[in-house]
Amino acid sequence: MKATLEVISQMQVDGVIGQYAIGGAVGATFYLEPSATLDIDVFVSLPKAPGSSLITLSPIYDYLKARGYKTQGEYMVIGDWPVQFLPTGDALAEEAVAQAVETEVEGVRTWVMTAEHLVALALQTGRSKDNNRILQFIESGTLDADKLDAILARHGLLEKWEQFGHKFLEDKK
Amino acid sequence: MTEWMRAILESKRERRRQLSALPFSEKVKLLEKLRDRSLAIANSPLRRRPHQLG
Repeated sequence: MKATLEVISQMQVDGVIGQYAIGGAVGATFYLEPSATLDIDVFVSLPKAPGSSLITLSPIYDYLKARGYKTQGEYMVIGDWPVQFLPTGDALAEEAVAQAVETEVEGVRTWVMTAEHLVALALQTGRSKDNNRILQFIESGTLDADKLDAILARHGLLEKWEQFGHKFLEDKK
Repeated sequence: MTEWMRAILESKRERRRQLSALPFSEKVKLLEKLRDRSLAIANSPLRRRPHQLG
């Protein structure tokens, strides 16, 4: 993953991407025990194309293809890892990138979303594996409850959180 | 729940705590091993459908 992160870091230096943060299972591994995943989710803030309100991933694909990297479905394979670049499409993802935690992987500087933002995004997405990850975070005791509540309130996710609690946590009360 | 089962579950919890406490770089190495194992399993002939085996 070191090689992958070095390329992403260079993309930042070259102005192809702005701030970024690792989310998904790799991001969760920063806080939890490692769990099997096949790809890296990289949330990126992208500059809008001149004269357009649309955000496009084309500059990322063009940059990487010009350097010999291959696509694999919606992924770009960088080093050993398929990487999915996800533009920050809403306020929650933007905040998650803006407040990401700086860390290092084998000497390469990188950013990982906070545990609370990972949980909020998992709740928003709501697939089975997301629900499972939320439960792992709850059981790990790594969440700051006040911080999570504030994020959920800011992004209109409190009702969904309550539903999650009814569905998955009733027997733990 | 039996004492035996309780001990197993506690041992699993403790192992998870130990793994969670590792430095991120160490955990990334474990992620890579897990990924390689998942890919090996996915590519195993045993996982292929009968029509793919022939």
